[in-house]
Amino acid sequence: MDTLVAQLQRQFRDYTISLYHQGFLDDQFTELKKLQDECSPDFVAEVVSLFFEDCEKLIGNMARALDQTGNVDFSLVGSSVHQLKGSSSSVGAKRVKGLCVTFKECCDSQSFEGCVRCLQQVDIEYKSLKAKLQDLFNLEQQIVQAGGRIPQVDI
Amino acid sequence: MENMESVSNEEGRTDQFPVGMRVLAVDDNPTCLRKLEELLLRCKYHVTKTMESKKALEMLREKSNMFDLVISDVEMPDTDGFKLLEIGLEMDLPVIMLSAHSDYDSVMKGIIHGACDYLVKPVSLKELRNIWQHVVKKNIGSYKKIIAPSRHLLPTSEYAPSGSGKRKEKADDSGDGDDDSDRDEEEDGSEQDGDESSNRKKRRVVWSQELHQKFVHAVQQLGLDSEFKYRLYLKKLDEGQQHNMSQDAFGSRDSSYFHMAQLEGLRDYSSTRQLSSSSLLTRSSLTKFHPSVYSSVNLQGSNSSSFIPPGHHQSSSSSANPFGTYHSPLLARSQNVNLSPLEPLQFPRSKCSPYMGDFKGIADRGISSSFLDSRMSFGSSSTSLPCATSNNLMLQENFGVSDGNQSCLNGLSSFPSHHSWQGNLKTTTRFPSHSLPLNHAFGQDQMTCGGIGLGDYNTSLVSADSHVGVLQCEPPFLGDFMQNMNTHKWEEQNCTMMNNTFGNVDYPLPVDNNMVFRDNNATRSKGVDDSLMMSPIEDSATTLNSRECVGNVTMMDPEMRSSTKLENDLVDNQHDVFDDIMNEMLKQDENNGMVSVAARFGL
Repeated sequence: MDTLVAQLQRQFRDYTISLYHQGFLDDQFTELKKLQDECSPDFVAEVVSLFFEDCEKLIGNMARALDQTGNVDFSLVGSSVHQLKGSSSSVGAKRVKGLCVTFKECCDSQSFEGCVRCLQQVDIEYKSLKAKLQDLFNLEQQIVQAGGRIPQVDI
Repeated sequence: MENMESVSNEEGRTDQFPVGMRVLAVDDNPTCLRKLEELLLRCKYHVTKTMESKKALEMLREKSNMFDLVISDVEMPDTDGFKLLEIGLEMDLPVIMLSAHSDYDSVMKGIIHGACDYLVKPVSLKELRNIWQHVVKKNIGSYKKIIAPSRHLLPTSEYAPSGSGKRKEKADDSGDGDDDSDRDEEEDGSEQDGDESSNRKKRRVVWSQELHQKFVHAVQQLGLDSEFKYRLYLKKLDEGQQHNMSQDAFGSRDSSYFHMAQLEGLRDYSSTRQLSSSSLLTRSSLTKFHPSVYSSVNLQGSNSSSFIPPGHHQSSSSSANPFGTYHSPLLARSQNVNLSPLEPLQFPRSKCSPYMGDFKGIADRGISSSFLDSRMSFGSSSTSLPCATSNNLMLQENFGVSDGNQSCLNGLSSFPSHHSWQGNLKTTTRFPSHSLPLNHAFGQDQMTCGGIGLGDYNTSLVSADSHVGVLQCEPPFLGDFMQNMNTHKWEEQNCTMMNNTFGNVDYPLPVDNNMVFRDNNATRSKGVDDSLMMSPIEDSATTLNSRECVGNVTMMDPEMRSSTKLENDLVDNQHDVFDDIMNEMLKQDENNGMVSVAARFGL
């Protein structure tokens, strides 16, 4: 019979792998994990939080810009998309980054419909990732609380 | 975050360098900045970070030696990454640019503005582990004196400054000798690099007689076997020229000889990388055959298709077609045409005549001979890329110029962006991913393009467009060339200026194309041919551009001559590239009012 720790560890491993396989995360997230050590034990959580804050802020900017009906500043939207793309790529938020590519194209072609659609998708996607990473962090905490070590998951 | 720590010398660097190297990190994206900080900390650097470029500038100005290196994002909406770059350069600080954009234009812009490196986000730990080298490069003198000895990087006896000949050797070439001598050579090379890179910023390099001598020496070392053949070819060319300048006659007469010589010469050339350098260097041959030298350079002196004697120059416009005709068979026959395709291109128009005259004068000084030599080497090793330019006319016109810069410029501008070139070149030559080819030749410290760090970069020459400044190039033979080369404000240079710089070439050249010189290594041994061998950047427009580019490349030729390292490499890909070029050229539509490519090729 598996101990609680072992169960949690297995859950953690499976969940992590699924996130990669489903395209939520990519190797940049792995890099983030590598940078976490005794000196910076909460590095991943810290950076990921910064990322989600970024998302909120940038999406807000873009929504406001797109709200200026008849006078949408697409370059402003575009620069926000660029920022979002940079953030997402640096934390390994693969799906968000992918959406940014499409989003950028809509901005370049000044397609209002396209931009609105992309914005909605980005919003959904980052929130979804946020929830999943939250679950992952919770699992980690449970493992630690149960006295176990967080397993190293090799993708 | 300004706690300076463990300073052990007056420059604020520790003996444990690169541990503790003081980095100023600037990025307005908090996520990216935090990650960058952590990466840098992992490399054991001392990190100061800020999201505001203004704050960064303040810190830089406040205390000049507060930092060893600056790493900054370029696309900061509220701030200007390039401003930071300028300040850093003023203070002789290495500045690394960070960007999410990896397209050619962006990279070129960064390099042109003087960034010592350009990293594409997301940056990896591996890349950051090596950025300390830029600090060393900037301060090679002090590192040799202070840091290197303490870390036993140098032999106990003081390093001996090496000549430029040594400098031309790549570090990995110095396989002989023990470790110390290898290191010594590398140190010397890098010292020279460092000195020269700082020299590039501090003073303009002049194509002095000394440099010229070195260049000539290097060229001579490249081989003298084809000298005889070359002389023969020149003679024939001269005869042909004198008899008639008509297009058909010239073409036919030369073409037969050409093919003959070409096949022979090319074989020889390809296999031996010979240059008839010694013959070229003789004044008599220069003054007598200088028109043909240009054309023959490509085919080891056997192809004079683009050769136009001074007298003929006046009616050069009528001779434009002959070259086209001439060129066609040439292209069809051999894929190993070195530079010859370039040569057959239309000879410079009336603009050339002043150069013709100049050429003779220059020849006496031996400068043109070096140029010719470089042309030869170009021809032998290049894959006749010039031919593949859509704007043949421009290329041809420029090509015949004796001082080379004109032709080079024009030739370059007419180069089509061709993906395969890039690929071809890449396979044959090695170059760092971030390197700037154009600057590679300059790395020999002869020329600086806008203060860009040379020697480390691929020959990617971007044509002047809205993003990238035009590289103002003048032939080394011109007195003010180096001065122009050293201008940092590339954007201020435009095509017009380039034209003027290069000797009154004022025919319109398309300015909206990006030409990329790929793989500077390849061009090193080729000279002019290399300049013409431009591989287009994938993202850039397909139109050709940058006369400046051409000129620039030409400038590099003398430097390139000194290195034949890549000649052999390139030979293999010559026909691939050649085919590609030809195809590209034929496909290109005239977009600047010039004669169509097909017409130029007599098709």
